[in-house]
Amino acid sequence: MFEVRFHGRGGQGAVMAAQTLAEAAVNEDNYAVAFPFFGAERRGAPVLAFTRIDAKKIYSKTQVYAPDCVIVLDDSLLDTIDVVSGLKPDGMVIINSKEDPDDIDLGISFRTATVNATSIALEILKAPITNTAILGAFAKATGLITIESLESSIKEKFGGKLGERAGERNALAARMAYEKTIIGTSRGIKKLESKKQWLPAYQDIPIGGALIEGKTQAGLIGPGSFIENKVSGWATFRPLRNKEKCTMCLLCWFYCPEGTIIRISDRGDLMTNYDYCKGCGICANECPVDAIKMTRARS
Amino acid sequence: MKKVITGDHAVAIGAKLCRVDVVPAFPITPQTLIIEHIADFVNNGELDTKFLTMESEHSVMSAAAGASAAGARVFTATSSQGLAFMHEMLYAIAPLRLPVVMANASRTLGGPPGIWCEYNDSMGARDSGWLQLYVEDNQEALDMIIQSFRIAEDKRVLLPVMPCLDGFVLTHTVEPVDIPSQEDVDSLLAPYEPDIVLDPERPAMIGTFMPAEYIMELRRQTVGAFECAKDVIREVNTEFAQKFGRDYGGLVDTYRMDDAKIALITMGTVTSTSREVVDELRQKGEKVGIIKLRFFRPFPCEDLKKLASNLDALGVFDRSISYHGGGPVYNEVRSALFGMTIPVINHLAGLGGRDVTEEQIFKMFELTSRAAKGEKVKEVNWHNTRGETV
Ligand code: SF4
Ligand code: SF4
Repeated sequence: MFEVRFHGRGGQGAVMAAQTLAEAAVNEDNYAVAFPFFGAERRGAPVLAFTRIDAKKIYSKTQVYAPDCVIVLDDSLLDTIDVVSGLKPDGMVIINSKEDPDDIDLGISFRTATVNATSIALEILKAPITNTAILGAFAKATGLITIESLESSIKEKFGGKLGERAGERNALAARMAYEKTIIGTSRGIKKLESKKQWLPAYQDIPIGGALIEGKTQAGLIGPGSFIENKVSGWATFRPLRNKEKCTMCLLCWFYCPEGTIIRISDRGDLMTNYDYCKGCGICANECPVDAIKMTRARS
Repeated sequence: MKKVITGDHAVAIGAKLCRVDVVPAFPITPQTLIIEHIADFVNNGELDTKFLTMESEHSVMSAAAGASAAGARVFTATSSQGLAFMHEMLYAIAPLRLPVVMANASRTLGGPPGIWCEYNDSMGARDSGWLQLYVEDNQEALDMIIQSFRIAEDKRVLLPVMPCLDGFVLTHTVEPVDIPSQEDVDSLLAPYEPDIVLDPERPAMIGTFMPAEYIMELRRQTVGAFECAKDVIREVNTEFAQKFGRDYGGLVDTYRMDDAKIALITMGTVTSTSREVVDELRQKGEKVGIIKLRFFRPFPCEDLKKLASNLDALGVFDRSISYHGGGPVYNEVRSALFGMTIPVINHLAGLGGRDVTEEQIFKMFELTSRAAKGEKVKEVNWHNTRGETV
């Protein structure tokens, strides 16, 4: 059995990637299953998806804890998540990154492949949705499925959902990534930090799960989340507000799902706390006078 | 002060004496009188409460959750289809540990539609995390509203409580009720002061999304509160008895059980009628008694085990049915008595509001006694049901 774990962010298509991989594997006469694991469903939040491939029927319905391959759709995850956790010693890591695999520091040496799937996706799909491109890298790096059968699964799955042209463009993204994938070995210099998590015993959970600002072993929590759990790393784009155009209608303040737009009442102004802005663009979309522009956050 | 009033009126007076802050309400037969009396109290200026007329029972329970999370003492009442409509929100209240008290006027849950007493409405909510109790008369209905708030708001418990009173048999029946004085109730029930409330000055998060990493512990925590509730129920009963002279026994009450060999587990008003039956049987020299199941949640496993240990056979009255066979009380009792060898016989009666007569109760004792003597008796007996023999 071959087990794959996908790390992505909500909206990047990790689940679709896992399913497409399963379909491609089945097309080559394997048995395969794919399933997601969602945390809080927020666009931009880290998500997991899994694919299992075998020659015979797969019965296990648990998550994958010791994968043969880890696929990372967004290299900003490498800063906060131990993506290689449980990876088998002879396993492989495939990362969407513009860096060479040999320059990637995972805190441990693994066979690693990289491809700049974001730029391929932006070029071909005009959106930073990297799931099909990264599968091209998977075909190249593992040789487990052929690029041809992957292309046909993508055409079928994405074409069926989004139209024939979209299916073809996604297949092209996979082919381009296949050709551009570089294979090497990750570095093992940085110290792996274990994930910050507050896991109290049932006796220590606040009654009814009610939380006020306070300290836990894992850090300071405020209403909503860990105060130090900044989400700025999720952002591909960040909002810039043109004060001249803004009419202070407050729609952006109302709609921001992260509550990161703050009213400064004495000045009758707004401020965005970029530490907690995930770059979803809802504010820009809702602004009736187009006062908010989304600009590329990281160059 | 004694007054001759309906069960619904007694419940409304109980809520008033508890100085409830918020009452979100939606009327439904046979609970309507409760809501009408409270509306009157508010209208007369007798009760300073936020009375909210909601558009549905689902909204009633949502408003109750919000008001309770904001620190208010919340009371409401419902029945049958209304309780069913609240179902989703019932499940939200308990794990958030919001001590709402809601009276339920027990009424058959359709279909087919009916308005008379059956317990299939509240039994459907038995795993929603609410404490549930069933009262026998109007006095107990009033007294248990007061005790319910004390139990619910105890820091060891913090769970919602649902006192159930038999539709029509109590809700619309007048009988004398001793109304406690406001001073006495105040001395038993201090104002509600929760530790964490929704307050813009001190932001808090109550009832938000929780991943799998926490929910299992939260469930376990709620089970712990159920365990604590057993002690608290007994303590509050004792304190109440000292102050008002009425002792309800705690989770269960007993009648003539001292040397009893045959007992019947009863609930609600059937307990009351059964007292007359037991007196008559005792006169004939039969060693019979009643175990009045007051709290169905938490379920008094320990009390029942102890009481059953001296018995030759036990009958269990049920006023609703689990379609796989016996009633829900029967199944809980059997599970509580697992390992004990006495016969346990189920007596289904009064479904859909059919009157439970003394004759039927005599039959329940007779069948249970026959089982004690080793005669073959059906496990589940449908009393006064055409086509069934008992
Ligand atoms: S500020 Fe705008 S882009 Fe940032 S999280 Fe809020 S709505 Fe999304
Ligand atoms: S929605 Fe646009 S106009 Fe309205 S307050 Fe926000 S930026 Fe200003």
